[in-house]
Amino acid sequence: MKAQGTFSLSLTVNGTAWSGEVPVEETLLEFLRRRLRLTGTKRSCESEVCGACTVLVDNRALSSCNYLAFEAHGKTVLTIEGLADGEELDPLQEAFIRNIGAQCGYCTPGQIMAARALLLEEPSPSEEQIAEWLSGNICRCGAYPAIARSVLEAAEAYRKRK
Amino acid sequence: MLGSLQLLQPTTIDEACGALHELGDRAKIYAGGAELLLLMRHRLVTTEVLVNIKNIAGINRLAWDGTFLRAGACATHHALESSPVVWERAPLFADAESQVANVRVRNQGTLGGNLCFNDPHSDPGTVLLVFEASVRLASRRGERRLKLDDFLLDIYTTALEPDELLLEVQIPPLPARMHGSYLRLHRYQRPTLGVAAALKMNSGNIEQSRLAIGCVGPRPQRLVEIESKVKGTTLTDAEKIIAGQKTYLRELLRPVDDLLGSVDYKLYMSCVLLKEALHQAAQKSDLPLTDSPALRI
Repeated sequence: MKAQGTFSLSLTVNGTAWSGEVPVEETLLEFLRRRLRLTGTKRSCESEVCGACTVLVDNRALSSCNYLAFEAHGKTVLTIEGLADGEELDPLQEAFIRNIGAQCGYCTPGQIMAARALLLEEPSPSEEQIAEWLSGNICRCGAYPAIARSVLEAAEAYRKRK
Repeated sequence: MLGSLQLLQPTTIDEACGALHELGDRAKIYAGGAELLLLMRHRLVTTEVLVNIKNIAGINRLAWDGTFLRAGACATHHALESSPVVWERAPLFADAESQVANVRVRNQGTLGGNLCFNDPHSDPGTVLLVFEASVRLASRRGERRLKLDDFLLDIYTTALEPDELLLEVQIPPLPARMHGSYLRLHRYQRPTLGVAAALKMNSGNIEQSRLAIGCVGPRPQRLVEIESKVKGTTLTDAEKIIAGQKTYLRELLRPVDDLLGSVDYKLYMSCVLLKEALHQAAQKSDLPLTDSPALRI
């Protein structure tokens, strides 16, 4: 058993397979933003508190700022860039636009990805469940009521789709 | 950004213990990184090598063995909050786990990592003191078992030796007819105060209690003196007894003034939450037995 400074990483990001060597200390956030140029995922508190860097790894929400890229080996990562289907926006994106669920917009990718994780686990969430799940995603503009409304509407749209 | 790191990925306990023995203070155990990476980013912890123990078979197992609920060191908080066997054997613990930080931290952080860090602002240690849980540790010198109360020493300090690995937490169920409640105050998801109370009631009197408070001092503490004073009393009398225990709590918990509140505020809120937790625990004790464990936390 020998210590390695790099890791042979293979993973799928937004449906596309990627393989290559990454330094052990590279976070998933750095990997996404610098290596893949997927800059929709935001860097903010770097303490797992604010939620701006939320992405889905195997359908579960994680703080990509504090998650080493090698941990995503063999897994599927979904970022905000992977939600839309071509020109067609995801129901969450549409609902956030319709309800003005963003003011400055910096926290929005994280809010939407956290909401995506919630809707995967609970397709019909109550307002209380939305508040609990998104309590780890901070909006300094205070757009919370519009965010909650957006998530409720998107949940309905997802259910109708199925 | 994190400094340059090397990675070791042992797949057995022997390999992991061998690596820790050889590398000494050049290595740190990596069990998910929820807390370790934060401190490394601030250069409060530095290391050359991460020993990733998550590939050891069975290290995240959750199982009931007839005596203990056994929670592997790498069980995540999410696994604990959503596990049927944890809800069945230790619903108070499952409920406390569901209150840890936020969804993302619960998906990443592990029980073993949490306990070995012994961050004073943490939930699992407090509630596990009420269960009188033990930890199983391994090193090249062999295995040993310690009561959690003897494992958690001081702020960010445990009895874990540098070459030792925490394998699992052994959680005995609460005594029959004892039910509990875990309540917390938090700021940005980090607890300022955590209170665990478990009660066995008998005709309106407290037959037995187990009480613990965490987050206001260097480590969580069982409130042994209050437990013996409230024995045999009604809830109303217990509340009066608790109100008179500020000096005891101050000496036991050793709170400090900080951004999360003054010493007086923390002691005041300790008493408020303790009374509330006692009420909730007593209510659950009076519920008729039901098939749904979630109702009998």
